[in-house]
Amino acid sequence: MTTPKLSIERVGKVFEGRSSRVAALDEVTLDVAAGQFLVVVGPSGCGKSTLLDLLAGLTTPTSGRLLVDGAPITGPGLDRGVVFQQYALLPWRTALRNVEFGLEGKGLTRRARTDTARQYLDLVGLSGFADRYPHELSGGMRQRVAIARALAFDPDVLLMDEPFAALDAQTRETLQDELLRIWETTRKTVVFITHGIDEAVYLGQRVAVLTSRPGRIKAVVDIDLGDRRQTEDVRSTPLFAEYRHQIWSELHGEVARAQRSELSAREVVSVG
Amino acid sequence: MARRTPGDRIRPLVRHLLHAAATVSRKSIAVVAFLVLWEIAPRVGLVDSTFLVPFSTAVHALWDLARSGQLWDDTRVSLTRSVIGFGIAVGIGVPLGLVIGWYRTVADILNPLLELFRNTAALALLPVFILILGIGETSKISIVVYACTFPILLNTITAVRGVDPTLVKAARSLGLSTPRLFRQVVLPSSVPTILTGIRMAAASSILVLIAAEMVGAKDGLGYLINAAQQNFEIEQMYAGIIAISLIGTIVNALLVRLERRLTRWRPASR
Repeated sequence: MTTPKLSIERVGKVFEGRSSRVAALDEVTLDVAAGQFLVVVGPSGCGKSTLLDLLAGLTTPTSGRLLVDGAPITGPGLDRGVVFQQYALLPWRTALRNVEFGLEGKGLTRRARTDTARQYLDLVGLSGFADRYPHELSGGMRQRVAIARALAFDPDVLLMDEPFAALDAQTRETLQDELLRIWETTRKTVVFITHGIDEAVYLGQRVAVLTSRPGRIKAVVDIDLGDRRQTEDVRSTPLFAEYRHQIWSELHGEVARAQRSELSAREVVSVG
Repeated sequence: MARRTPGDRIRPLVRHLLHAAATVSRKSIAVVAFLVLWEIAPRVGLVDSTFLVPFSTAVHALWDLARSGQLWDDTRVSLTRSVIGFGIAVGIGVPLGLVIGWYRTVADILNPLLELFRNTAALALLPVFILILGIGETSKISIVVYACTFPILLNTITAVRGVDPTLVKAARSLGLSTPRLFRQVVLPSSVPTILTGIRMAAASSILVLIAAEMVGAKDGLGYLINAAQQNFEIEQMYAGIIAISLIGTIVNALLVRLERRLTRWRPASR
């Protein structure tokens, strides 16, 4: 058996506040094979983003361990590229210079950096916008720049934290297709966090459903829609609807539970 | 109707010039009115012309001071003092502000003391500075340093606290070390707010310096004004005041331009 690209082994994460203690994740175990597209879907506040931060090495687990290629994650590394919901582009840098940002730690010459950055702007379809500043670009374009930045230093793993959540529906669909195309050409391992069921079914080879706080793996659903691009409007096929319903059923109780606990938390606050 | 006359081409140009002229006159009308009032009031006896000379007389005196070289000497002395003091203040305020803004513990320890210093008017300390450092250059530069440090320091702290956390997160995910994080993320995103502090500091550097020169100095623009008043050379006193107001305006305009240059990446609406 080959080593999985990513291993999450009985990972728990507890945030200690001054007077509160919040368990974000509990006993999460999950393997991701090299080249796989995994989507993690869960109700809001279920610790999805915490899981991503752990994989990115931005925070450490309270219990359990996370491995890349069998070696424990000790911090951020250029073997993993992260794409955030809020784009996180440096506003004082042009699109091209933003893509170069991730390459600056790699000891390349300036010229090699620029060439690579241009190549990845091409890949995300932004060749003509290299010299634009982020505020001159639309939300969808900004996220394309962020994806190019995360890919430019050629990580094995792409970690995406609700990257399309802030975009309008049309732009989101376009970028979903672009992402699948990029995934097919680059063969990266992708971990994609979302709260959208449609998005999860459309993008994922596997969809992991997380419970509401503390997040646990409730189910892992394998998705096989065939070649998505062979079928016109795959979202309206019966198979898609079936997968959608399956994940919806898994999630449904969790969303209600999450809302109840949020409401009761608010009551506690308003009474206190 | 379709025939183009030369007038068709000239008209947009004329309109453009008229528009520009309208803008200029709208922006200068208040200043011009003030200067006209200053000119007329002493002449028609609205105020005593012994104590408030007409604007043109003051300008004439300024011209004489400039020709004799005295204006240049005093200006150079004053500018040297304030530039040195200002430079030292930037050197202290920006790095210290970065550290205080970034490290909570340092902020908790230093904030109460800084708050105390900040609320002690610089000029109240002038006698202390003179007592300890004498009436030479050191005491004047020191008071400028004191007055300039706080706007720069406080704006730098605010700037660092305001750095977008997702930018920091993204930079960390790219494996940036703390020094690189400061140089490539924290500092650049703080530049606009720091520059506002620098502009405030520049204004107060001139303010406290002039005051310091009035109290104990043998040269400088503050001395020029104060000495002129005491020797009853009223035109020269006003000439000195005009010189200071011009210098202040020019310095501010230069800093605004610098600010624009360094913050071109921001949306125009800001």
